[in-house]
Amino acid sequence: MINLLARYVNLVVLTIAALILISFSLPYLFPGDVLTNMSGIVPESEAQRAALEGVYKLNSSVFVQFWYYLNTLFSGNWGVSFSSQESLFDAVSIAFPATIELITYALLISVVVGIPLGFIGGIWHHKPFDFGVVTFSVVSYSFPVFWLALIFITIFSLQLGLLPLSGRVNLLYDVPHHSGFIIVDILVADIPHKADALYDALQHLILPTLSIAFVTTAIFVRFTRRSIMDVMEKGYIDAAKSRGFTTKQIFFKHGLRNALLPILPLMAMQISTLITNAMVVETIFSWPGIGNWLIQAIYQRDYPAIRIGMLVVSVFVVTLTFTIEFLSRAIDPARDKFERATI
Amino acid sequence: MPRFSLYQEEFHPSPFMHIWLEFKRSHFALVGLAVLLMFCGIAVLAPLMSPYDPNIQNTNAILLPPAWEGNGSISHIFGTDALGRDVFSRTLHGARTTFGSSVILVIIALLIGVALGTLAGMNKGVKSSVLNHLLDSLMAVPTLLIAIIIVAILGTGLLNSMMAIILALIPQFVHQTRSFVREEMKKDYVLLDKLDGASSARIFWKSILPSMFELLAVQSTLALSVAIIDISALGFLSLGAQVPLVELGASLSQSLEVAYSAPWLVALPGFCIFLMVLAVNIVGEGLRSALRNRLIH
Amino acid sequence: MTPFSLQTSKRLKQKVVNSLLVGCCLLTSACSQQKTDITRNGITFCSESSPASLNPQLDTSSTTADASSHQIYDRLLEFNTDNGRIEPGLASSWLVSNDGLTYTFQLRKGVKFHSTDYFTPSRNFNADDVIFSIDRWRVVSHPYHDISGGNYPYFDSLGLGNTIKDVKRINGYRVEISLYKPDSSFLANLATDFSVILSAEYAMALMKDGSPSYLDRFPIGTGPYKFLSYRKDQFIRYQRHNDYFLDSKGPENLVFDITPKSSLRVAKLITGECDAVAFPSQNDLETIRERDDLTLLEKPGLNVGFWAFNTTKAPFNDPRVRKALALAIDKTSLLEAVYLGQATRAKSLVPSASWAHQSNMQDLGYNPVAARKLLDEAGIPFNFTMNIWAMPVQRAYNPNAMKMAQLMSSYLADVGVTVNIVSYDWARFRENLTLGMHDSVLIGWSADNGDPDNFYRPLLTCAAIPSGTNRARWCNEEYDVLIESALNTEDENERRIFYHRANQVIFRETPLVPIAHAYQYQAVSNNIQGMVINPFGGIRFDDVERTP
Repeated sequence: MINLLARYVNLVVLTIAALILISFSLPYLFPGDVLTNMSGIVPESEAQRAALEGVYKLNSSVFVQFWYYLNTLFSGNWGVSFSSQESLFDAVSIAFPATIELITYALLISVVVGIPLGFIGGIWHHKPFDFGVVTFSVVSYSFPVFWLALIFITIFSLQLGLLPLSGRVNLLYDVPHHSGFIIVDILVADIPHKADALYDALQHLILPTLSIAFVTTAIFVRFTRRSIMDVMEKGYIDAAKSRGFTTKQIFFKHGLRNALLPILPLMAMQISTLITNAMVVETIFSWPGIGNWLIQAIYQRDYPAIRIGMLVVSVFVVTLTFTIEFLSRAIDPARDKFERATI
Repeated sequence: MPRFSLYQEEFHPSPFMHIWLEFKRSHFALVGLAVLLMFCGIAVLAPLMSPYDPNIQNTNAILLPPAWEGNGSISHIFGTDALGRDVFSRTLHGARTTFGSSVILVIIALLIGVALGTLAGMNKGVKSSVLNHLLDSLMAVPTLLIAIIIVAILGTGLLNSMMAIILALIPQFVHQTRSFVREEMKKDYVLLDKLDGASSARIFWKSILPSMFELLAVQSTLALSVAIIDISALGFLSLGAQVPLVELGASLSQSLEVAYSAPWLVALPGFCIFLMVLAVNIVGEGLRSALRNRLIH
Repeated sequence: MTPFSLQTSKRLKQKVVNSLLVGCCLLTSACSQQKTDITRNGITFCSESSPASLNPQLDTSSTTADASSHQIYDRLLEFNTDNGRIEPGLASSWLVSNDGLTYTFQLRKGVKFHSTDYFTPSRNFNADDVIFSIDRWRVVSHPYHDISGGNYPYFDSLGLGNTIKDVKRINGYRVEISLYKPDSSFLANLATDFSVILSAEYAMALMKDGSPSYLDRFPIGTGPYKFLSYRKDQFIRYQRHNDYFLDSKGPENLVFDITPKSSLRVAKLITGECDAVAFPSQNDLETIRERDDLTLLEKPGLNVGFWAFNTTKAPFNDPRVRKALALAIDKTSLLEAVYLGQATRAKSLVPSASWAHQSNMQDLGYNPVAARKLLDEAGIPFNFTMNIWAMPVQRAYNPNAMKMAQLMSSYLADVGVTVNIVSYDWARFRENLTLGMHDSVLIGWSADNGDPDNFYRPLLTCAAIPSGTNRARWCNEEYDVLIESALNTEDENERRIFYHRANQVIFRETPLVPIAHAYQYQAVSNNIQGMVINPFGGIRFDDVERTP
């Protein structure tokens, strides 16, 4: 166990080191002035340029620069955005929780809907209900997420006029920023019309969350269904049957646990898909998250923002993925290390 | 594998034939295959099939509705867009770009992935472990993020977005190949070859690769559906194909500004992408269950 | 895990699904536009772009003017939005000397500046604020002149700094401005969006703190709204200024929801997320007109959309090339496709609503054969490549520059010219234009006051090149003399002759191709009353209220 933990910690640290190294090299790879790519400031005079070069140690060796870069990263001094001259640390700490909030709810819906559906389909496979489940999952897995979001907008916002189509909360509610999670922020905020604001925020959440959850649910359904089908074909299930257990007993004693275990690492692998979908959906619903922010940054060629945004998101995804993989291996040591997904 | 059979003269399909027989038992899979073949046809023949040049603008025929609407015209079956371009021709060319580039990038990712995976699978030790870690981290980085970095460095364009998606797809192929090669290397028939003194290269080409085809076919359909969605998503975010290249995702996002007065301009490319991915998924699903059934019987 | 049979699990699931559905319905159905208190006291305006600054002195973009001019600030004089007459603003009355060289302004008393969490004023508005606001851009050695870049494009393009001799305080509520030469458009210029009055006290306090640039980022003015917060590409928040010197019916809260896509703005208007939107897309006008809950405001705009060539770059320094390119495009079909007919064809700079309009002006027609011939004469090879910069924002004078550029590129391809379309985000776009990085650009101009000088001078005179409003970077002595002479007289007929002669110069040299004078639109929800289109610049919310 300690061994395993050590190995995963090692893996995470190495990967993050690699990501930091990549992000360190990006300003040199991006077009334009290296200094501007790093600092986000266009020096207006030679004196300012020299001062900035001094700050970023551009005249020292690469190792000194890297060491300095590490220092700035960990001290939260990430420079400013090229286009808005805002502190990147502030911008990310506002935008990133918004994304996490969105994917958390989407993931929650996917688990709550996807896994039971998959179970039922898997147990009664090749029955009409299962046929429905499989059809649903193939169809919803085939939806390009941006098109789905547009369909939702067309139906629920424009035709029926039920739900809002942009942002996190009506801008007239001035919710102060604490945690970055809008629901939490509203609950702790000291503002008038709290209940109204909460209600409004929930309404804003529905469409983007559903758009993301649709595709993820499809994947979960398929994983779970496959997994339960595999498990129910195993020898120990036959053995249990021959000993006269009821289907119910067999399912809960042997089936459920063994079918759920392999799903966990598969979930880990979906995080990067989930983030990609969330980023696309954010741009459609003008959700002020990190994806929207990064895509605006690329439109405006805001290289300092791209560099930091890329680092933050990838470190988050890598850490989360490896944590889940570690957990699943800790729970289920028998699993082959290199077993990968086929849906 | 075929078990003992009493009647030796009975029909014994080859493994591929067997898969086909299993596959065509599902009507859905057949329909999916037909649609997929149609898209292949479009990808090759789009310039011959389309009645107009997709970029020819006709300011006298702006935002014509499709032919099935009351005031539509038969000369533009799907109507025209905000610049008076023929939507039917644009859809064909867009499908060609989206589908064609996805197929090409999956093939490239497959070749690279299989090569790397084989290397990793047949070797052991540090080299393999370094490769593995590198891939793990690459796999965890979302495709869109890779695309943003590549676009930031090299600029927007179809080729650059293809590059990003190839990078994102390679690890899956490597992992699949690697664990497959690992498994096979332990098997007796490979041992037999080894004892005969076959080189590693020979073992790979003659023994392992042939048995890997099915796995790769299934993995490729999976990759293809992901590739189509990603290519069109990048086009939608205008990070992918640029004018004058016609691409479905890009056409869709360009039509958003007239979404209210010409909803079919948003519906058509989106539906086309959906159909494409659905066909690929259905065929992939059919292929997988055919394989599974063949292994069972 | 609690043991339950598969049947019950199915039933339970059914229950869960049901309750989820009910929950969703509760969440969605009851809300049908039931406005809560806060939304009843607030107005959301969906604007098209992020302002580069919150001080209109620093920027001629109408985005900046919209976000600041009539919200945060006031001017000495105001335009009447109906007839364009100059009316009292912070100056309650004024006197002009007989020689037209001295202007004396009597200032309003008891006008309060905003009191916010970053500044509390200790005194009311007085003459010092007027002197500070004008001297900031006029006097190069002023301590605030170089703060925030030191460029004052509107004033620089008019050369106003060189027209004003002195701004003198006579007493606390009386200011005298003296000029070097008479200027028939001087009062009009003081009423434009750009001539806002800042707080001198605030500026001094900031200077003492060592953060003078906050003056333009955390603005203090006397206007009907105080500034709360601004996040680029997302929103600007304002709160009502309760001590505003005029009666204001405005709402308690005002939000600018920055939504760059015109289709999305209209969609948000339909769902009720916006109460009013700037520049609705031409394609959606019909939809808005048809809906009962929305109103489309329209007014012939005092504007011109044009295609300007960078005349400092070869081969665009050759008038033959410029003329050839002008001949190669079919303006009529551009008007049809881009403005959907909601514009008149432009032949010169000023629209027919202005007294300086020349109705008998010649115009270059569509003639690709002549175009190619001229290009051959000028030695332009087949497959010559040029770029067209298409502005990324919508404006009345060009609601969709990208589409126009695409249409033009197909016309130009017919005469053997290949086009690359270039676009950046708005702030960067304008910056790079000022640096002269373009070959040609699709852009335009909206009037800031009713005077024709407001078109002729900033768009094409030599002085307007460094300030960045002369997008053609064209400098012609003959033209400059004509424009200068037109200002020296008050007589409209005399001025008209000068402007018509200037039109001839423009026609001969073709530094730019005028394309359209377009209608101005604003779409408003019927819950909102008092919105009007301001033909002389920025949007105003001082009299806008929500109907109960």
